[in-house]
Amino acid sequence: MSWSAELTEALGRANVITDPARLRTYECDGLTGYRVQPAMVVLPRSAAEVAAAVRVCARHGVPFVARGAGTGLSGGALPVADGIVISLQKLRRVVEVDPVNLRAVVEPGVTNLDISKAAAPYGLYYAPDPSSQQVCTIGGNVAENSGGAHCLKYGFTVNHVLAAEVVLADGTVTTLGGDSAQLPGYDLLGAFIGSEGTLGIVTQVTVRLLAKPAAVRTMVADFATVAGAGDAVTGIIAAGIVPAAVEMLDNLAIQAVAASTESVYTPDTVAALVVELDGPPDDVAEQFDEVQEICREHGCTKIMVAADAEQRRLIWTGRKAAFAAVGRISPDYFVQDGVVPRGRLAEVLGRIAAMADDAGIRVANVFHAGDGNLHPLVLYSEADGEHDRAERLSTEIAELCVELGGSLSGEHGIGADKACSMPRMFGEDDLATMLRLRTAFDPDGLCNPGKVFPTPRLCGERPGKYRPHPLEEAGVIERL
Amino acid sequence: MSTATTYRPATLAELRDALVDSAGERLAVAGTGSATAWGGEPVHDAVLDTTAMSGLISCNPTDLTVAVQAGMPFATLQETLAEHDQWVALDPARAGTVGGLVATADAGPVRHTFGSLRDSVIGVTVVLADATVARSGGYVIKNVAGYDLAKLFHGSLGTLGVLAEVVLRVRPRPAATATLAVPCDAATAFDLGGRLIHGSLEPVAVEWCDGTLLARFDGTSGGVEDRLRRARALAGSDATDAPADAWSVVADLVSGDDGDTVVRLGTAPDRTPELAALVAREAAAHAVDAAMTSSPFAGAHTVRLRGGSAAAHAAVVTALRTEQPAVTVCRWTDGLRAELPAWGEPPPAVAVLRAVKRAFDPDDRLGRGRFAPWF
Ligand SMILES: Cc1cc2nc3c(=O)[nH]c(=O)nc-3n(C[C@H](O)[C@H](O)[C@@H](O)COP(=O)(O)OP(=O)(O)OC[C@H]3O[C@@H](n4cnc5c(N)ncnc54)[C@H](O)[C@@H]3O)c2cc1C
Ligand SMILES: Cc1cc2nc3c(=O)[nH]c(=O)nc-3n(C[C@H](O)[C@H](O)[C@H](O)COP(=O)(O)OP(=O)(O)OC[C@H]3O[C@@H](n4cnc5c(N)ncnc54)[C@H](O)[C@@H]3O)c2cc1C
Repeated sequence: MSWSAELTEALGRANVITDPARLRTYECDGLTGYRVQPAMVVLPRSAAEVAAAVRVCARHGVPFVARGAGTGLSGGALPVADGIVISLQKLRRVVEVDPVNLRAVVEPGVTNLDISKAAAPYGLYYAPDPSSQQVCTIGGNVAENSGGAHCLKYGFTVNHVLAAEVVLADGTVTTLGGDSAQLPGYDLLGAFIGSEGTLGIVTQVTVRLLAKPAAVRTMVADFATVAGAGDAVTGIIAAGIVPAAVEMLDNLAIQAVAASTESVYTPDTVAALVVELDGPPDDVAEQFDEVQEICREHGCTKIMVAADAEQRRLIWTGRKAAFAAVGRISPDYFVQDGVVPRGRLAEVLGRIAAMADDAGIRVANVFHAGDGNLHPLVLYSEADGEHDRAERLSTEIAELCVELGGSLSGEHGIGADKACSMPRMFGEDDLATMLRLRTAFDPDGLCNPGKVFPTPRLCGERPGKYRPHPLEEAGVIERL
Repeated sequence: MSTATTYRPATLAELRDALVDSAGERLAVAGTGSATAWGGEPVHDAVLDTTAMSGLISCNPTDLTVAVQAGMPFATLQETLAEHDQWVALDPARAGTVGGLVATADAGPVRHTFGSLRDSVIGVTVVLADATVARSGGYVIKNVAGYDLAKLFHGSLGTLGVLAEVVLRVRPRPAATATLAVPCDAATAFDLGGRLIHGSLEPVAVEWCDGTLLARFDGTSGGVEDRLRRARALAGSDATDAPADAWSVVADLVSGDDGDTVVRLGTAPDRTPELAALVAREAAAHAVDAAMTSSPFAGAHTVRLRGGSAAAHAAVVTALRTEQPAVTVCRWTDGLRAELPAWGEPPPAVAVLRAVKRAFDPDDRLGRGRFAPWF
């Protein structure tokens, strides 16, 4: 029997898509510039069916790509032409909310926000909150080690997942992690989280839940310069305060937000900081005053404190809708995700502005200022032939972040998008060592191939020659 | 094994050379040697001592990061950070080197909030058995580029490669801290701890140590005082403000003394009372003194056995393994090794553990036997 017939038999005709028109839906993720039509899409209804599908793939050497909601921004769920896509959309059951043990067990297709909704009756919530949380799935979050505005204080997906049931590349089902984090042996769960779907398919996730903080205070502070806003963040950290979130928006981003939602942001400010503190009321009150003081010391021009939950919601709606909002001021855009050591924020923003000027392309910035994770939005018009120029600028920005001692990606992943830039950040031996892990999980390389690691097919025969890491040049780190 | 060769590199280059020079030899990777008994007994021809690699690489208070050589004593690291009013959010009982802490996955009561070092390490440089030098992660607290090899080395007990450099995220030290102590049994402790958490009092640590619940609060001085007051009201009349050294009881219990057996294990939080009952019952049945300390909401427990025969210790540990197979023996009373396998039932993903070990150290040169009989 052909593999496609075997898959159809294993999953039932209703759960298999081969019709080209319907396959189109699965051609790309949030990085819409990359499109590949898969040979087939399967929609298993259980972990057992996922395993059955993977076993067929393993037997026939068919590559497979897991897919959650397809909101990924690095082409992680980009299909392989001669392979299949395994959609987890039918696995969307909240299996259990366990308030006593402060955890929930969910299937991978459950959306991030639905976990918090299920936990809400118990006064609990799931902390990582990517802006896409209404749509993106926990399976995708695990694969990408997704963050969110609140990860400065609370950490990323990896800090909030206790166990994952995983279908390995040979179709066997195993569990990584367990009832507690106290387990002997290598932390396979930790290594799996953030592996971008290349080490196996998650079929069930146990997440930690936190008690909702007793108090939350949110403000927007306007600044006349980006550097002033950056210095204020440094001041907040130096004062020993760990805000729940510190987000920055520049003027172009604010204009975009203003054009599309009920904006609470000052339209003509050069930069705005959103600072949120949460925790016990007395601690929050004291530090909230201190933060306002620090902002004033650094020349902030106006502070708007959210008076109630509705104003807080508006602040966050504006911030979280910023990517989408940019769509209203530009026909097309790329989102970058580089990270710089926080102390170099002002410098990197200055250089991005200069590079954007040189390229004649606008770049809006909305980002996680507390941890130095930028999201430059490179605005362009496909119709006006700006695509290649914008893409080049976008790649240059990510590589600039590495040059400044940072990373290509803070939360969106490498995927297909930045694989060719990996040699800028890692040496051959680093990548080869990572591949040993990949080989241990997936010796035949069937699980989401062509992602994360540069390949000649993807990057040309000479995938970006290794250049010394800037910290290496500065003598801070050595490579042998 | 005192006749074994010792390699004592001071730099990454020397470490790499040591792995080249020792080709064909089986190596025991060592920090200060405070946790060499964990798990199985590795065989080795030579010792790779990392304690000369003890330097500070860079300290970046505004970025909330610090980079050190893996042989740096953890205490030295904390002292360095204290100068900047910062700390690595970890309070192990006694600490050897930073590398040893990563390799043992050891942690203390603040694991309740901050997890273990896996949650604070943001980058590593490792040297593999074949002298390959590899780096993963980096110098920024948020980073998803490439696989996170640091996670693999967490709990690796010297069997996967040698940690050479470790980059960590740090946190500001709290302005104030206070501890509430409540004498109670494990079931009461679990219930009260739950009420502190659900009441949003945000204890940074909740520990039930040998009959006393300790809850620590960190924050601003006004905030801590207020929460301590409210916690005391919840806890009832037996509750007292504990002195700062209340926590040394936990450290003493976890460390144990010569002749003790010390084991650690993890369970779901709500199994804590049952586990405490099981420990008491089995200890009584086998005429052993048992003491237990738990971070119930992290589901992390340490049990110390004292007095009685090795066979009696073995019987108690075997009973614990029935409740939870993943028990690590950290300290072995004399003669216990002959009575008890180093590890219990392997975890479900043991095949993957083996495959990873094979991929990183195909000749099984590093820490051979540490995880026997699993691999
Ligand atoms: C006096 C004292 C007593 C202690 N007693 C206990 C106790 O009873 N129970 C307890 O839970 N904790 C105990 N600890 C805490 C424990 O030592 C810590 O887990 C940790 O700090 C060990 O560090 P080390 O440098 O001593 O490691 P070592 O004991 O030298 O090594 C521990 C393990 O880590 C590996 N390792 C060490 N360095 C590296 C490296 N750079 N790269 C790769 N692998 C490495 C070794 O191969 C070994 O498997 C004690 C600490 C001290 C100082
Ligand atoms: C408007 C917008 C805002 C965003 N904001 C954020 C943000 O704030 N923070 C952030 O971190 N990200 C953000 N993202 C990116 C994206 O939402 C996250 O990466 C998310 O985790 C992807 O989830 P998904 O279900 O859409 O996964 P997909 O896009 O379907 O897949 C992403 C990757 O995960 C793999 N995968 C999916 N499901 C599984 C599974 N069950 N098992 C194994 N692998 C699997 C895929 O193969 C692919 O490699 C944003 C995206 C958009 C469009």
